Amino acid sequence: MRRLSIAARPHWKAKAREFGFNFHTMHGEPYWREDAYYSFTLAQIENDIEAATVELHQMCLEAVAQVVKSEALLKRFCIPPTYWDLIAESWRKHDPSLYSRLDLAYTGSGPAKLLENNADTPTSLYETGFWQWLWLEDQLQAGLLPAGTDQFNLLQEKLVERFQQLKYRFPNSILHLSCCQDSAEDRGTVQYLADCATAAGIANEFVYIEDIGINERGKFTDLTDAPINWLFKLYPWEFMLREPFADHIAASDTQWLEPPWKALVSNKAILPLLWSLYPNHPNLLPTYFEDDTSAQFSGKYVKKPIFAREGANVSIWQNNQPILTSSGPYGDEGFILQGYTPLPEFNGRHTLVGSWLIDGEACGLSIREDSSPITQNLSAYLPHVIEP
Amino acid sequence: MKRSRSINLLRMRKVSGVFALKPLALCVALVFTGCGSNEQEADIFKNLEECKTTYPDLTAQCEMAFNEALKKAEDTAPRYKTVDDCIVDFGPDRCTSHRSSDGTSWFMPAMAGFMLARMLDDNRRYSTAPMFTSSINSSPYYNRWTTVDGNSYGDYRNRQVRTNSDAFRPQPRVTKTIERGGFGSKAAAASGWGSSTKSTSRSSWGG
Repeated sequence: MRRLSIAARPHWKAKAREFGFNFHTMHGEPYWREDAYYSFTLAQIENDIEAATVELHQMCLEAVAQVVKSEALLKRFCIPPTYWDLIAESWRKHDPSLYSRLDLAYTGSGPAKLLENNADTPTSLYETGFWQWLWLEDQLQAGLLPAGTDQFNLLQEKLVERFQQLKYRFPNSILHLSCCQDSAEDRGTVQYLADCATAAGIANEFVYIEDIGINERGKFTDLTDAPINWLFKLYPWEFMLREPFADHIAASDTQWLEPPWKALVSNKAILPLLWSLYPNHPNLLPTYFEDDTSAQFSGKYVKKPIFAREGANVSIWQNNQPILTSSGPYGDEGFILQGYTPLPEFNGRHTLVGSWLIDGEACGLSIREDSSPITQNLSAYLPHVIEP
Repeated sequence: MKRSRSINLLRMRKVSGVFALKPLALCVALVFTGCGSNEQEADIFKNLEECKTTYPDLTAQCEMAFNEALKKAEDTAPRYKTVDDCIVDFGPDRCTSHRSSDGTSWFMPAMAGFMLARMLDDNRRYSTAPMFTSSINSSPYYNRWTTVDGNSYGDYRNRQVRTNSDAFRPQPRVTKTIERGGFGSKAAAASGWGSSTKSTSRSSWGG
């Protein structure tokens, strides 16, 4: 795992416009950077990332199977009791899932450590599946990367394949895709998913989360009053279950992507559960609920809210003192404590590896760099390669 | 190779105009299917018994068609807020009252019969649609057969009609949105935090 400099493609911003990548600069900072890239060996990808990702995903599924049959755990996961059945039923019915992203601390050697599982609403999908793929093709063509340079990135191919499978599961259904208003990043991610669904032959429509309605039959509707039977929502379950329309979810008979059971996988409460199910697993960090008296850390540890987004409300602790804290609006539902493992530093920046799954298959990698050890929403995205 | 073999860049382009492709004509197989002229013979039965009497060797199909039509009627028949609105269109003897589990109530015409079209090549395959009629002489459906899309099939006493396959297409369920904005409030609340640093576009709700 190395960070290498490279010349940016001369007209990449024009190209970004051409392909509708309009969130490469966010909050006045470059989000997409191509003045450097990360290089991995095939062995690093296959042995350390790919294999660990598949195994971690399977462990998470086992954890979900435990949670749905335990009221105590459902409480620990802060699922409102009214919706325990919704989630358990979705698991029992094997409601299909689309995708996940595991955030891993990986230094290039030794086991990758799971920091968290973005299993409900992962973003940076377009940048990963398409845009960094295009960057590699362009740089190969320009001769700036040696022939035979590859990338761990089957994301778009597998995404279209997965949609093709789902098409047969829900024949003749129109897929509605949805995200919140005023986020170019989320709108771009959902547009990309719509493009992949279209490529798979699925008719699709877009509706903003805020515009979703409910009709007199208890079906969710779009702005044309058409019923929503199948909905991809780039909007977290933990929000949805606490909003006015939550009561309509069960009776609406909607097919959800991600399905309700993903609320358990994306939940940080899964991290202490994994540690108790698979203690000392090489890809796990010791993790406990905040009030667990058996919690023991040899050095630093990290305190994370059960529900939070983009690194908000995370703090790093040493000797019972917070040494670094990120701000944010979350934390009402409680916290987990996770053993600290440093992210590798390159060029003074902290590097986080995102490992993507389509359903249960590991199929791609994304790299984020942040000036802080806590990766947040200002972190930059850099492409990667597998060296020939 | 551990990356997507190929990606259709034409499809990924978002700039309109240059590469915009018109959707393909929908009726490409015109010569073979005769798109647009799908007329076929159909029967309209006022009840299940009529169907069974007419086709004694197809009683099972009659029953299935009748039940499917009933279900379609329930899903797609026009709905009225008040019984009077329903009566104006269909008559006092035709309107029934309904209530959903969440307490909303409405009125709708009862199915007055069902239309059955059998496939010429295979007697066991059929299409079915619910039929309605009105007993109010000011109504356009007075003593006439009509489908939920409002197409008339002539006098209520007719039994043999000609129709096209459109009559059997799935109809949109009758829906009226009664409320919007029940999702998104948590995001709106959380986005208040730190909004001063995010002038142009707020952050992702993904992660």
